[in-house]
Amino acid sequence: MNIDLTMDGRRADRFDAMVAEYFGPEGVPAGFAGGVLARAAARQTAAAGLLDRLAVHATPRGVSLIRPGEQAVAEGAAARKWVERARLELSEYLLGQRSFFSVPVDLSAAPEFQQKVLGAAAAIPFGEAQPYAWVAGRIGHPRAVRAVGTALGRNPVPLIVPCHRVLRSDGAVGGYIFGVDVKQDLLDLERTTPVLEGCATTRIVCRVGCVHGRRMRSDSRVIFASVEDARSVGYRPCRVCKPAAA
Amino acid sequence: MERVVRKDEAAFGELVERYGGRLLAVARRLLGSRADAEDAVQRALMQCYLGAGGYQPRWALSTWLYRIVTNACVDELRRRGVRTAHAGAGDEEPAAFARPADAGRRIDVGRALERVPREARVLLTLHYVDGLSNGELASIRGISVNTVKSQLARGKAILRRALEEGGRG
Repeated sequence: MNIDLTMDGRRADRFDAMVAEYFGPEGVPAGFAGGVLARAAARQTAAAGLLDRLAVHATPRGVSLIRPGEQAVAEGAAARKWVERARLELSEYLLGQRSFFSVPVDLSAAPEFQQKVLGAAAAIPFGEAQPYAWVAGRIGHPRAVRAVGTALGRNPVPLIVPCHRVLRSDGAVGGYIFGVDVKQDLLDLERTTPVLEGCATTRIVCRVGCVHGRRMRSDSRVIFASVEDARSVGYRPCRVCKPAAA
Repeated sequence: MERVVRKDEAAFGELVERYGGRLLAVARRLLGSRADAEDAVQRALMQCYLGAGGYQPRWALSTWLYRIVTNACVDELRRRGVRTAHAGAGDEEPAAFARPADAGRRIDVGRALERVPREARVLLTLHYVDGLSNGELASIRGISVNTVKSQLARGKAILRRALEEGGRG
């Protein structure tokens, strides 16, 4: 019995030593803090710059048009409310604090084919991308790749309906109403924006940008890699934004 | 920290100087590669700087920094999950450690860690890199101290078993 205990003790020492060695410290490269400050400045400038040069239009049913231009005051209380909400959500999105839009869109003026194309683009998850041919296949017109490109190019509500997540088959970024650089920036932004956040006080996990999440204090924000992970440490999915379904 | 909240760049530099090494160690062990670790820590610190007002004085500064860096790393792991599901392959970097004599051992621990479920792996990493207490771990991940204890115990058991199996093989 005694011998067994000693063996276990030795094995435990070796385990601890091995693990401790693995987790040793790392050096900080020169200019690290400066790099962070430069990135922060670039992010703020890009977000404010894009928001300043786009105009949001709305009907009482929702956002109907987003185009380069100067923002005008919308007519009617309902339309004004949608414009205001869209601009708030766009600002959060561009600062990396939102992973989906909840403001309604009004696409009733768009032709049926374009509505289908926009519906397919909207199905591409945040942070991912698909080629034009994928959209064509999804709406049942696999050979209409060019028409799909045109329909996306005329997307009445870019950013909210994510036509920027559709790329050329050769991996090139393709065109964009706000310019190819902005399209690439949006893809990069989405690649680095979290999707699932938990609230440490309520132990509820939401999609980033949920109304519940917006009321969350910033020191309660915990990011998860999956709803399952969150469940494993005592969180439950939000009933409003339904992260398990996303 | 008061000065970082006021967006004082020199104060921010001091903060990075003081905590950067430990934050990079956590990120490196969670993400596997030095380049990914630097990127994640930079992004996390950028958020600290942009939203420095979110800091609560009742928190230890290190707890807050670990929270934000861990958040960034966990999100990177989520993206890898998506990418792996699509591409069918990960992109680990197991052979890049410095001292050749230790390389085998380090890879052993790295491989063994991959068998530990994600949340437990995060807690184990924070526990081993800076010897944080269970209470601090609970604050960093927003979970109860009891959950920390059970996750650490489970994680250690899996790690130990994986290392022993590896040693025999």
